Amino acid sequence: MATNVRLPRTVSPAPRTIGRSLLLTSPIIVWSILMFANPNTQGDRRSQIAGAITAVFMIALFFMMMRTGTTYRCRRLFFVSLGILFPVGFIHNVIAARGTMGIPIEEMIAGRTPFCFMPIPLLILPAAFTRTLVFPGSILPNGGMSGGGMAAMVGIWLAITLVIGKGWCSYACFFGGIEEGIAALPKRAKIRKIDVRWRYGPWAVLLAMVLLSLALFEPAYCMWLCPFKAVSEYVAARNTVGLVQNGIFVTLFAGLVIVLPLLTKKRTQCSIFCPFGAFQSIFNKTSIFEVKIDQTRCQPCVLCQNACPNMSLSRESIARGETLMSCMKCGACVDVCPRQAVVWHIKGTEVAVKPERARLMFLYAAWAMAVMFGGSIIAQGLTTILHFLA
Amino acid sequence: MAASVQFGEALVLGLASGPACIAACGPVIVPSLLTERAGLQANAQFLLVFLGARLVGYLLFAIGAWELGALASMLPGSRMLMSGVIYVMLACSLIWYAYSARRMCSPSCSGSRLVNIGETKSRGAGGASVLGLLTGFSLCPPFVVAGIRAAQLSSVAQAVLFFSIFFVGTSVWFVPLAGLSCVTRNEAVVTVARIAMVLIAIYYGSMGIVMMLGGKGNGH
Repeated sequence: MATNVRLPRTVSPAPRTIGRSLLLTSPIIVWSILMFANPNTQGDRRSQIAGAITAVFMIALFFMMMRTGTTYRCRRLFFVSLGILFPVGFIHNVIAARGTMGIPIEEMIAGRTPFCFMPIPLLILPAAFTRTLVFPGSILPNGGMSGGGMAAMVGIWLAITLVIGKGWCSYACFFGGIEEGIAALPKRAKIRKIDVRWRYGPWAVLLAMVLLSLALFEPAYCMWLCPFKAVSEYVAARNTVGLVQNGIFVTLFAGLVIVLPLLTKKRTQCSIFCPFGAFQSIFNKTSIFEVKIDQTRCQPCVLCQNACPNMSLSRESIARGETLMSCMKCGACVDVCPRQAVVWHIKGTEVAVKPERARLMFLYAAWAMAVMFGGSIIAQGLTTILHFLA
Repeated sequence: MAASVQFGEALVLGLASGPACIAACGPVIVPSLLTERAGLQANAQFLLVFLGARLVGYLLFAIGAWELGALASMLPGSRMLMSGVIYVMLACSLIWYAYSARRMCSPSCSGSRLVNIGETKSRGAGGASVLGLLTGFSLCPPFVVAGIRAAQLSSVAQAVLFFSIFFVGTSVWFVPLAGLSCVTRNEAVVTVARIAMVLIAIYYGSMGIVMMLGGKGNGH
């Protein structure tokens, strides 16, 4: 997969007027104000300032998306901010609550392990076989560090997923932003050819982890393979096994989230490893939004394939006029196409007929959820920073 | 009368333990099946060989359990060492199996078109029997329960019969796995299964080494 071909000049869509862009942004302005004018934070000045900054940030990015007609760069700015500020707020909270990033076994037994979305696919089979959730957290928000609890996290995930499918990985995942930011740093990729079979990696990790979770009756991915334990929390290492676990977390984080994105300019953790991403790909079938390739306009220059950060386009899929099911709907391929042949599409409608309308509908859904979910995480991270600056 | 009650107990114990057995064997059998040829006949053949070898493992363990007397509960150090050795052997077998799938796949899998893996020849019963035997030896919780119960019986023949009936009870739960024959065997499915086998092998291998060195492994 070549990544450094000479690119024809990208023809950007004509910019909208400021007034029209503002008009299109107005629903997001109202939504952001509703989200961040929280009466619960009235006594906390730092939270209010963080909320205001976040609201302005999210509104400004959406306005720029409306004005320029492009998606990827503004979304990336939000996503990288989310990836950087999530650990800031989370680690601060964890350390404030228990003094360390390590989860002692007592906390796990007490069901006070914070729950993220990653273990969701691992819980399904054990729950089906035994009606037991193999995660040491609480279902309801009464488990101290579990925050909103499993039910709230699963509810948020389900709501977002049913609407935008694997768009979750570009608009809601609070881990992917770190590697997307790192992948954006180098000008050119050092590794230009990646064997397409690496695309099967996430499915293999998913299969292995689902089976091991059922066999061991524990969320095997969280216990052994999650690279993001390195920047969130980890098993408190009290013996050799604990040390090995933490060594694996740090090694995977360094390799998949830092080194490989720098070398390939791809989101390598997402595209070759993340089992949740594979699971999430299934839900691209339930979402009405997708990216299509207008065969009448496409001259297969493979610019879109090279631009895709998730290796979700192949020559075969381009020839079929579609992305692979792992498409994260980040918009990179749409923005880079010089002939505007790669378009946003709503299932059941004709391809390339009013694609901007499909883009707007997708972005309203995705950005509303980004403001609600990612925005609150960004605001929390900013609050933490303001706390330290004060 | 007492004998029939014992064997009824073995059957019920097997049926009740089936989900735990399939959970314990799942990491080995599911990816292995996915690297086999598609079709009900090929998958049923694999399952029969696997289950037959698992029965042999059970019976050998039954004899050991009866001869040594509650092997599982009375000798924790030896049990740990035995489990560690079995896990390492299982890991080696899985890696060999994943490797042999590559040999079968080549060169037809080099393209991205859909192909039927193993169209021309089968890998035979060797792999299924080794994996079945090793999973038969693995000390999963229901197996330990059955082992302790078998050790309380009055003769080795009764222990063997108890284990055989227990095996029949657990095997019922493996029948739905034949449904994996419906999954198309293309490059994607075989590659996913092979990588998964290697990951599972790494897990079993590391746990086995930790157990042999005297550690407790993870949750074992």
